[in-house]
Amino acid sequence: MKRSVEGVWAVLIILTIFAYLLGELKLVNTLLVGILLITTFIKGHLVIDYFMGLKNVRWRYRIILTLWLIIVISSIALAYLLPTNIK
Amino acid sequence: MNKALSIKEPYPPGDFAIWIVIYIELVTFGLMFIGYAFSRRADVALFNNSQLQLNQTAGFIDTLILITSSYFIVKAVNSVKNARGAKIQSANNLASKWLLAAILLGLMFLVNKLLEFSAVFAQGFSLSTNTFFMFYLLLTMFHFMHVALGTVILFNIRQRTRTSGYSADDSRGIETGGVYWHLVDLLWIILFPLVYIIR
Repeated sequence: MKRSVEGVWAVLIILTIFAYLLGELKLVNTLLVGILLITTFIKGHLVIDYFMGLKNVRWRYRIILTLWLIIVISSIALAYLLPTNIK
Repeated sequence: MNKALSIKEPYPPGDFAIWIVIYIELVTFGLMFIGYAFSRRADVALFNNSQLQLNQTAGFIDTLILITSSYFIVKAVNSVKNARGAKIQSANNLASKWLLAAILLGLMFLVNKLLEFSAVFAQGFSLSTNTFFMFYLLLTMFHFMHVALGTVILFNIRQRTRTSGYSADDSRGIETGGVYWHLVDLLWIILFPLVYIIR
């Protein structure tokens, strides 16, 4: 599907407003942290594909950034979602 | 599906050297992000209480600024990427305007961040206050330096558009600066929820 750069910008802004509202309204619980990290992944991937222009480049270059995004976001998710001793 | 439409470019946009820089930056920031997330596990209450001292609205505005400036850069690059012959001058003029808008947003980010840092320091917080502030200041200041460098790069690229320096046959310079700026945007897109929102 072909996306316009304006559409990508609009999605990025909407997802940023969503993240801000979660923080402002103190609505950050385990489920919402998960959703927030998924939206962060989507935002990152939109930047990689449509702003950096890797959508139309051979997969070997695109996969490096995609893997980086997956590793970083899943590590953050792991750190936040694993049970911990809250002082 | 039309097979011609699915043909991929052999190399990413810009100089290949910038992609080496990008990969190094991604590893560096990636380790710092993961380091922050796992360090938080050692004292969740301290991280949550310290995070309350941050200005989430400032972080939100910073995000809007960087996303929008990245969009302006895409418009600038697209303006010159297909410019040939008589269209080169008008395409460079247009790119120059988009770049100016992106530079102004970059400067706005820097000013906003300096105000945020001065407010944090005025409250008595520093790198040695606790682990949260060590990571917060390290991450945001390191990122700040990248935005500052990116703004200088955009300024230099804009100087070249003013002499109609870019065209379909020579757009590598503007693409190189562009992908660096998008990297700065990509890093902030993770930094913002990680440090300012998630608790």
